[in-house]
Amino acid sequence: MTNTPDNAPKSAILSPQDAEARVRASMATRRNRETRFRMWGIAAIALSMCFLVTLFGTIMSKGIPGFFQYYVTLDVTLDRERLDPAGDLSDQSLFDGDARGLVRDALFSTLQVSGRSNRKAAGKLISLGSDERLRDYVRTHPEQLDSEQSLKFALDDDVDSFLRGFISRDTPESDRRINDKAIGFIDQLQEAGLISYEISDYLFFGSASRNAEMAGIKGAFIGSILTLAVCLSLAFPIGIASALYLEEFAPKNRLTEIIEININNLAAVPSVVFGILGLAIFINIFGLPRSIPLIGGMVLALMTLPTIIISSRAAIRAVPPSIRDGALGIGASKMQTTFHHVLPLALPGMLTGTIIGMAQALGETAPLLMIGMVAFIVDIPGSITDPGTVLPVQIFMWADFAERMFIQKTSSAIMVLLAFLVVMNSFAVWLRKKLERRW
Amino acid sequence: MDNFNGIEPPMDTVGNIRVNNARIMCNNVFVHYSDKRAIDNLSLDIEAQKVTAFIGPSGCGKSTFLRCLNRMNDTIATCSVTGEILLDNQDIYAPEIDVVPLRARIGMVFQKANPFPKSIFDNVAYGPKIHGLAESKSHLENQVEEALRRAGLWEEVKDRLDQPGTGLSGGQQQRLCIARTIAVSPEIILMDEPCSALDPIATAKIEELIEELSEKYTIVIVTHSMQQAARVSHRTAYFHLGRLIEVGATKELFTSPHHKLTENYITGRFG
Ligand SMILES: Nc1ncnc2c1ncn2[C@@H]1O[C@H](COP(=O)(O)OP(=O)(O)O)[C@@H](O)[C@H]1O
Ligand SMILES: [Mg+2]
Repeated sequence: MTNTPDNAPKSAILSPQDAEARVRASMATRRNRETRFRMWGIAAIALSMCFLVTLFGTIMSKGIPGFFQYYVTLDVTLDRERLDPAGDLSDQSLFDGDARGLVRDALFSTLQVSGRSNRKAAGKLISLGSDERLRDYVRTHPEQLDSEQSLKFALDDDVDSFLRGFISRDTPESDRRINDKAIGFIDQLQEAGLISYEISDYLFFGSASRNAEMAGIKGAFIGSILTLAVCLSLAFPIGIASALYLEEFAPKNRLTEIIEININNLAAVPSVVFGILGLAIFINIFGLPRSIPLIGGMVLALMTLPTIIISSRAAIRAVPPSIRDGALGIGASKMQTTFHHVLPLALPGMLTGTIIGMAQALGETAPLLMIGMVAFIVDIPGSITDPGTVLPVQIFMWADFAERMFIQKTSSAIMVLLAFLVVMNSFAVWLRKKLERRW
Repeated sequence: MDNFNGIEPPMDTVGNIRVNNARIMCNNVFVHYSDKRAIDNLSLDIEAQKVTAFIGPSGCGKSTFLRCLNRMNDTIATCSVTGEILLDNQDIYAPEIDVVPLRARIGMVFQKANPFPKSIFDNVAYGPKIHGLAESKSHLENQVEEALRRAGLWEEVKDRLDQPGTGLSGGQQQRLCIARTIAVSPEIILMDEPCSALDPIATAKIEELIEELSEKYTIVIVTHSMQQAARVSHRTAYFHLGRLIEVGATKELFTSPHHKLTENYITGRFG
């Protein structure tokens, strides 16, 4: 005000002409700023898209081959005497039988090998799981005993890597995991057209194994489902009940304020801390066994509870107060108002929060390592009290193994995990759409 | 003024706060939000089967006092009410009073129409359902129909009872809310500026409805429109800054106000 020019009119408000001129003059800067801001936005999005594409690109390029593996077709004579010495097809009898010998004989006769060292080299071509595969076949097809059948057996993971070109013929023999003799046999099998590249049944139906060609995710997948089931059935009702109580019933005093702050803080606690808590309380104090989905689910429920409570409270708060007034105004009790009006309106939001929480739980590794779900467990868990592991932990373990084939399987397992997440999130979106009232 | 039983008489309310057939009697009511006084020593009778209007500049405590009459203020944690509000000689703020049956007797219609996000039928049927008023499905249907008829909405919605109540026009929604209140057979209906969001035609319909309803129900209406108070009410109470300034028969109050503040307000010169 003090620096008004002398010749300026008395009024501090500019004349319309002056104002228009100034507005015009400022337009260029404003437009420039806007353009620059837009550029920054586009650049940021482009960068994140780049990362995303790279991420998916690498995972897919490694993971898709992992869904396939090499098999060899052999004509096996299903000799009843040798396969099933006791003749009752019991597990014990099949185990005592000589499935391994039969597979090897089939391989040797196909390759027409003789001599100890040749046989030894040839025997290494097929997976160690081949005898179990033959026993499985006999279990499901006992009527085929005493006939000759063409059966597929997985090739050993080194052979698999060689066929994929990861092991070169040009490297000196002493430096490769597969010797010249074996390469000769592989060529022989390929010429005979006996080697095929197919969808890996081991990946989907096998469980943990130290042999890369036999390792699969079924055990971990079922472990994940069991763990999530425990987590959901604990965290959902407790979370929603807490949110409803805190929002609708609890008196607003210091105590509820402290509880509120603590719930918010819990959401920021590193997940591994919940694992330590689970270890200390569920395992050391209550003496529950380690490595079981029950404990995994309980620990993950602790971890997801704050997420569920916070999002449920937000959903409850978004219900217009006028709806509550309307119900209370005609004499509905607090309880009726909450359960007839508030809960149905808040439910879509609550479910979205819950599913986001579940998705977090699905991808969680650290707390489960603490309670021993990282153990090497071959059996597929049948219930929540059987030892098991979960997908992300399985991925974590595979990523640690040196074999080439585990690298592919790690990426494949990541793809399965991502698919699981996508399915869960789509379900959340669908559920929200379905429950959301458009009126 | 002999029925005060020694309680301090309310300050400077002009006009007769007592009536012969009072349905609700309020004595020395104070309302505070935390420390802030919103109603200051108010005493007033609500006459049975008549329409009582509360008028006054906004923020003067009309809604606050209205919400005391069916204890809707209970939902506001900071709100405290002292004094007596007698319904059938029973203080509704007495500890043994349960608000659920109380609010079934004293229904409320709000400023902003707030139908439930349910069908028209379910909106009206909700009250009878939770209070167990209907003996059978057909009985319930009859109750819904009659409530909608009394609210003057039946003809407009009878073919689409299963459609959402929130899909109706503003005026229809407000009448739906009135029907919802009527369906629980209240004795008293409280209305907080029920027409403030409505156009003149919808307003006229509601006003007509209020007139009809006053034959059966005791009605208290808060309004910011003096014309509306003049049209629908029998008795008018003028509030100013938390105090009841003047009360009297509507005609009298509007033609010859006694208090200066009342006169300023109704002649449009308050402040
Ligand atoms: N929930 C509340 N919390 C605190 N103060 C409130 C609340 N509701 C109303 N008040 C205050 O009480 C006074 C009366 O409000 P109200 O009864 O809504 O007035 P009116 O309905 O006459 O416009 C106002 O000063 C308002 O600010
Ligand atoms: Mg108001």
